[in-house]
Amino acid sequence: MGGVLIRPIILTVCIYLFLKFIVPVLPHSAPLPSSLIFLYLMLVMSGSVLFATLSGESKDAFFQPILRFLTGESGGALSSARYLVLALFPLLVGWQAYGSTASSDAPPGENRTIHPAPPGEYTGLSNPVPKTPENIMYGKGLYASRCAPCHGNFDGKGFAAAGFTPPPANFKDPTTIAMLQESYLFWRIKKGGVGLPVEGMPWKTAMPRWELEMSDEDIWKVIMGEYDGAGQKPRTWDESE
Amino acid sequence: MARVRRVGKRWWVGAVGLLGLCVAAEVQPAYSQQSVAVRAALVKGSLPADDPTAAAWATASVSEFPMSPQVHWPVRITEVTAKSVKVRGLHDGTTVAIMLEYSDPSEDPDDAAALEFMVGDTKAHFAHGQPMAQVEGGPVNIWYWKNKDGKGSDLGAKGFGTLKPHSHQDVKAKGVYQGGVWKVVFSRPLSTEHVAEDTQFKPGEFGSIAFAVWDGKKTESGQPKEKGSEKAISSWWYFRADAPPDYSPYLYALLAVGLALGFEMALVRRLKKGS
Repeated sequence: MGGVLIRPIILTVCIYLFLKFIVPVLPHSAPLPSSLIFLYLMLVMSGSVLFATLSGESKDAFFQPILRFLTGESGGALSSARYLVLALFPLLVGWQAYGSTASSDAPPGENRTIHPAPPGEYTGLSNPVPKTPENIMYGKGLYASRCAPCHGNFDGKGFAAAGFTPPPANFKDPTTIAMLQESYLFWRIKKGGVGLPVEGMPWKTAMPRWELEMSDEDIWKVIMGEYDGAGQKPRTWDESE
Repeated sequence: MARVRRVGKRWWVGAVGLLGLCVAAEVQPAYSQQSVAVRAALVKGSLPADDPTAAAWATASVSEFPMSPQVHWPVRITEVTAKSVKVRGLHDGTTVAIMLEYSDPSEDPDDAAALEFMVGDTKAHFAHGQPMAQVEGGPVNIWYWKNKDGKGSDLGAKGFGTLKPHSHQDVKAKGVYQGGVWKVVFSRPLSTEHVAEDTQFKPGEFGSIAFAVWDGKKTESGQPKEKGSEKAISSWWYFRADAPPDYSPYLYALLAVGLALGFEMALVRRLKKGS
C-alpha cells in the first residue's frame, strides 16, 4: 500500500517543517501564525489530491490504498495502524469540540502598532539644529538626565525600566530609531505616550510629554545625542525620491 | 530495488514519526498567567475581605508585577522603595477582594497603596487616565488606602490633577504590616449602581488593572519619601474574577466523539459492502 500516498504525505510534512522552523530564521522574516501554516498545508493537500485524481487510473491508484486501509484489507502491521487511526479520529474531533466551546484562560490579545503613523504636521520635518559636536554633547547631557533612567545606556535597560510594559525602547536595536526619521522621534518625544493614536492602544507607554519640560530645540538636540550615543543613523529620504 | 520495496512497506512508520514531530512542535507549554494577569478564584463561604492574614489567602494564586517610578507626570522620582508587588484575588460571586503584598523596610503613617481600573468600555491611559491628544480616552477608578486613614477610598480621575473621591464610597481596605511586608486587602461588590464612575466586574471577563505604592517614610525635610505623583507604579495588566465552573464543553466533546464514531463505523461498513 501507499506508494502513491507517500509522496504527498512527505511533501506536506516537509512543507510544514519548512514553514514552522526554517521560515522564522530566514533574514527579515518572522514566525508564521498557526492559521497561516494551516492554510498553506490545506492548499498543498488539496493540490496533491487534485494532481493524484486527474485521470481515472490515477484516481483509483490514489484512493484504493486508502479504501483498503480503512476496510482492513491491507493486513499486516497496517492493521494496528488502522485501529490507531479509527480510535484517534473521534478523539481528535472531541478535542476540537472541547477547544472551540471551552472559555479561554488567556487574556485578550493586544494588536498594538509599535510605530503608529504620526500626525501630518510632523511628517518630513528636518532637524533645524546644526549637527555640531557641541550640540550633540548637549543633547547627550539632556539624555542622561531625562531619558537614561528608563532608556539606560541607549539600550532600554535603565534602572527605572523594570515595571514598564512595553519596555523602554532600545535605541541600539536596528528596528527602533535606525528605521525612523528624526521627525518621528521629535513627535514621540514631544507628545509622549498620550500623543499616541487609537492604534497605539492599550496606551501602556509611560513616555512623558516632554513638550511640557523641554523646548523644541532641546528635543532636536536630544535626538542627535540619541543617534550618536546608540551608534545609529536616522532614516532619510533617498535623493531619487 | 529491494531497498525501494522495503521503504514502500515501512513508509507509514516514517510518516507517523514525522506526524508525531509535527504534533510535538504544535504542543506549546501551558500559558503562564504569572506577571500578566490576576485571577480571582470563586470561593465558597466567607471572603477574607477584612483580614490580610487569613489562611484563605494562601489558597489564592499569586501574580507578581515589577514596579517602576512614576515618570510620565513632571512631578516625579527616579527610584522607588517597592520594586514589585505580589497580587492575589478572591471573590464569592458578590464581592471581590484583592490583596497587594510588597516589601517596605518601615511602617509609616503615610504608607499607601492603590489599585486602578478602567471604567466601562472606553480605554484609558494608565497614568490616571491622562487625556489623549488624538482620541478620547476614558476615566479611571482608583481604590486607595493609606495607613493612617485605616480605610479604603473610592476615587475617580481623568488625568493628573483631577483625582477626587466619589460621592459614594463602596471600597473597603485593610492593611497589616508584619516583618517588613505590607499586606493590603481591598474589597468591593463586583457590581455597583454607578457604572459611569465605578469599574464593574463580570465573572469570566478580563479587565485592566494597575498598581501604585507609596513609601511614606519621612525624609530630612519632614516630607514623606513618596507622595502624590512621586510613587511606584505599574502599567496596565489584566484582572479576571473567575466564572463558576462550566461543564458544558465536556458534554459537547462527548457528543462530538459519539458522532464521529458513528460516522466512522457507517463509513467503514459502507466501504466494506462496496468492496
